[in-house]
Amino acid sequence: MNRGVELSVYEIVGSPLCVASEDGQKVYDRIAATIREDRSVSLSFRNINSLTSAFLNAAIGQLYGSFGEDEIRSKLRVHDMEPDDRALLKRVVDTAKEYFKDPHRFEEAVQNVLGEGAIEK
Amino acid sequence: MKILLPQIRHDRTGFEALTKVNAETEGCFLQEIEIDMSRTTWFDADMCAALGAILYRLGDRLNTVQLTNIQPGVKQILSKNGFLSSYGRQRIPDKWGTTIPYQRFDVKDDRYFATYIEKELVLRRELPKMSSALLKKFRESVFEIFSNAVGHSKTELGIFSCGQFFPHKYCLDFSVVDLGIGIRQNVKENAGLDYSAEEAIAWATEGRNTTKKGKIPGGLGLKLLREFIKLNRGRISILSDSGYWMAHRGRVSKSKLLNAFPGTIVTMEIDTSDKQSYVLSSEISESDIF
Repeated sequence: MNRGVELSVYEIVGSPLCVASEDGQKVYDRIAATIREDRSVSLSFRNINSLTSAFLNAAIGQLYGSFGEDEIRSKLRVHDMEPDDRALLKRVVDTAKEYFKDPHRFEEAVQNVLGEGAIEK
Repeated sequence: MKILLPQIRHDRTGFEALTKVNAETEGCFLQEIEIDMSRTTWFDADMCAALGAILYRLGDRLNTVQLTNIQPGVKQILSKNGFLSSYGRQRIPDKWGTTIPYQRFDVKDDRYFATYIEKELVLRRELPKMSSALLKKFRESVFEIFSNAVGHSKTELGIFSCGQFFPHKYCLDFSVVDLGIGIRQNVKENAGLDYSAEEAIAWATEGRNTTKKGKIPGGLGLKLLREFIKLNRGRISILSDSGYWMAHRGRVSKSKLLNAFPGTIVTMEIDTSDKQSYVLSSEISESDIF
């Protein structure tokens, strides 16, 4: 496997408050671009003190509309998270898996991504 | 036009009174509207967010709004939290630091809202000593409500918030209001479910129900808020369209109001003396998430 990429949520968002969906989108863009390059991602939440489900849905939940579960599990690692933030992320991930089980939603998500010019694996 | 405003508390009667104001002024355009507050002998400060939203909407329709005969006690609170600054009064210092200022935000103001919460709730020394776990949960719950309003309401007129701390009662009230399409319409348009307004609110607070479509899955906003308030033994009230839903110490009630609100009001009251850790009994490992 190629060398992994380390991403800092704080560095991407520029704030300890991860509230906005738009900020989550920036994190998603970097994770998705890295996975498409067949690299693994180590995502650090160091110095982050507030997270919302809207942020995590945009940052991580929508990955399940673009990549398979196995690929995400093998390529994405998170660290430096508080226990309750980990619990929130787990719920967001479980909800996202459920959400994209609906083939219409999955198709719609893929079309959205393709419409933005991305190439899916 | 003159409207007589009664006492406003953050309960069903307060919501009935505010939606009545909205109904009576619904068709107003380029009019002078006097809100006579001579009988408003009590005004729960966090309800400024809801009244402010109604009055802002009237202003957007080029009406001129005047608040008259404001009772001294009410005037003092509404001057301290900055609400009356929008209606020609001077703001007065909040000597005891019990107000969380009235503020309007645009939907793009997520970061500004987050900074406002940090400044007014987290960094203020005069506010009550709340456990760090409670403060974190409360702050995140407020952010969730704001994100929910941004993500679902489609409001063009903004999001309004206001709060009040009651030191002797160990409680903190906070309201977030949007002037969007409301939960009933949102559930109907996006989930295809034609519920009554109060049933739609109940639906939105349960399980994995979501009205979200597209590439980003739905948030957990109202569900997380409901869970937190239940653990805290606090209260959450939601008014959207003509539906009223409340959960207090785990007990839920819902009903239909006579008039509708043009958006959604979420008010919460938390017990600030709560010392729970809010840490789950079974920890989730970082390797078990995906």
